[in-house]
Amino acid sequence: MQEMNLQVELLEQNSVQYFKVVGEIDAFTAPVLRERLAAVENVQGLKAELDLSEVDYMDSTGLGVFVGFYKAVSANGGHVKITGLNKRLNRLFEITGLNEIIDIEQKESEDHNATL
Amino acid sequence: MDLRSSVEIITEWDIVAARQLGRNEAKKAGFGTVDQARITTAISELARNIYLYAGKGKIEIERVTDNGKFGIKIIASDEGPGIPDLRKVMEDGFSTSGGLGAGMPGVKRLMDEFKVVSETGAGTTITTTKWLH
Amino acid sequence: MPQEVGRQYKEIMGKYLERPSEEDLYVGQQFSRRFIEKEIAPEDVISIHKTALIELHPELQDEVWNSLDFLIEMMIHYGLTLREHQSLIRKQEAIQMEMNVATKVQDTLLKTKMPCVGGLDVGYISQPATQMNGDYVYFLNKKHESGVAVADVIGKGIPAALCMSMIKFGMDGLPDGNTSPQNVLGIINRIVEKSVDDSMFISMFYGKYNAEDTTFSYASAGHEPALHFNSRTGEFSELDAKGLLLGVKPDTEYEERSVVLNDGDFIAMMTDGVTETRTEEGFIDMNAIQNLLHDVKDKSAQQIAEHVYHHLAGLQNYRLSDDFTIVIFKKQPEQV
Repeated sequence: MQEMNLQVELLEQNSVQYFKVVGEIDAFTAPVLRERLAAVENVQGLKAELDLSEVDYMDSTGLGVFVGFYKAVSANGGHVKITGLNKRLNRLFEITGLNEIIDIEQKESEDHNATL
Repeated sequence: MDLRSSVEIITEWDIVAARQLGRNEAKKAGFGTVDQARITTAISELARNIYLYAGKGKIEIERVTDNGKFGIKIIASDEGPGIPDLRKVMEDGFSTSGGLGAGMPGVKRLMDEFKVVSETGAGTTITTTKWLH
Repeated sequence: MPQEVGRQYKEIMGKYLERPSEEDLYVGQQFSRRFIEKEIAPEDVISIHKTALIELHPELQDEVWNSLDFLIEMMIHYGLTLREHQSLIRKQEAIQMEMNVATKVQDTLLKTKMPCVGGLDVGYISQPATQMNGDYVYFLNKKHESGVAVADVIGKGIPAALCMSMIKFGMDGLPDGNTSPQNVLGIINRIVEKSVDDSMFISMFYGKYNAEDTTFSYASAGHEPALHFNSRTGEFSELDAKGLLLGVKPDTEYEERSVVLNDGDFIAMMTDGVTETRTEEGFIDMNAIQNLLHDVKDKSAQQIAEHVYHHLAGLQNYRLSDDFTIVIFKKQPEQV
């Protein structure tokens, strides 16, 4: 059994679906995240906020999950916001140009990133 | 000489009755201990599928001959939901799923001949035979 | 045949029961291989045991015989599981063979021709993490220019490989005179956007060297920036250009930039399998890659690419966690 090093918590706050993601998002754990997000992505006018402040690693498969989610939510007139990106993740969103189309908020003080 | 007998499967206890009947018939037909156990296990799996997924059905056991060969034939039939994707059910690896039809590849392996006819919404009939070698 | 096995089993066990010794157990261990060879099921092994015991010790009590019958019953599912397992292994072997064929098809399908224009030395290396490569390098050659696409399809393996043929045919179908990096990415983006699933995307860097004015123009669709080594200053700069990943939005526009190359300058284009190299101590950083490139700046383009590969793959004991691709365009003095 592959160890699933990822947790996804869903909190609903004033009609905003707030997801707190904790762990690493890679090819093995991405399906867990995809499944959780897929459950809400078809809601009309969905407002979703994804808190990634406790995600210190994500590979392109993880990015794929967010792209898919963004596309589905946008198609249903909703809005996606991603918050708490560390430097490395922020760079990933910048390089890929996704920061131009997805609402992104970087982590305020970011200096404890051990993986850099 | 009518060598066909059957057990209705409605409760879990009926599975035990079907096993017992199968074992007795297999013994009478001259099968050894191991083959008796195989035939009984096959009946058990078939009866359990009926009990779990079709609600009710029956297991018929029949002694058969073909060109001097002797054997035992099991017919498991029900009027349950049917198996939508037979191909998938017959695939190895499916047995671990524990779902409808799980264990079918196992039954096929335990026996010599295996045939399944299933119609969605109308039920399933599985006919399987083991020959004395 | 089973009778023969049974007879031998009885003989070995008989000796052991008379006077238990390690030697007989060793003989037994050797003999047990025959059960496997002859594909004798676990329940049959117990039956053989029971038969042998009846002949050797008929005086034993019913509890013994009944317990053996019980054990036979217990072993039926083990036997089934074992056979299912064997059949799955055979299936896996068949899949492996199909994979080998698919890899060959991929190699043939995606074959690319190294450019050959005056004053440009080209080298590259592309190594898949698993059997099939999700990174893709494609050269587009014209009389005075050579273009290169370095693409990374999300994910690895077969799905990524299938997706790549799309880029290849898109590139092959590019109209003449429309090969500016900006246009190339715009066209490929429209093809990809129409054909891929929502969570699928491709990052791609397209660079083009023009031999007439020695400029290198480039555009990026969400790809890792390339590195430019300036031989005059001895420094590296990142070649960054704004642009969204391919396959996300149909009407994406790509920024195009260019840089003039002097003799000794080179451009290193990479996928994230290079820049995101992960070792036990964490990720390597851009400085490390620059240092690696700097160490071999005077070597040929191919040697530079191989140096980076061997060093970074070595850090991971050659077990790549992601597909690894690096392409080097190096400007040389014209008289070759």
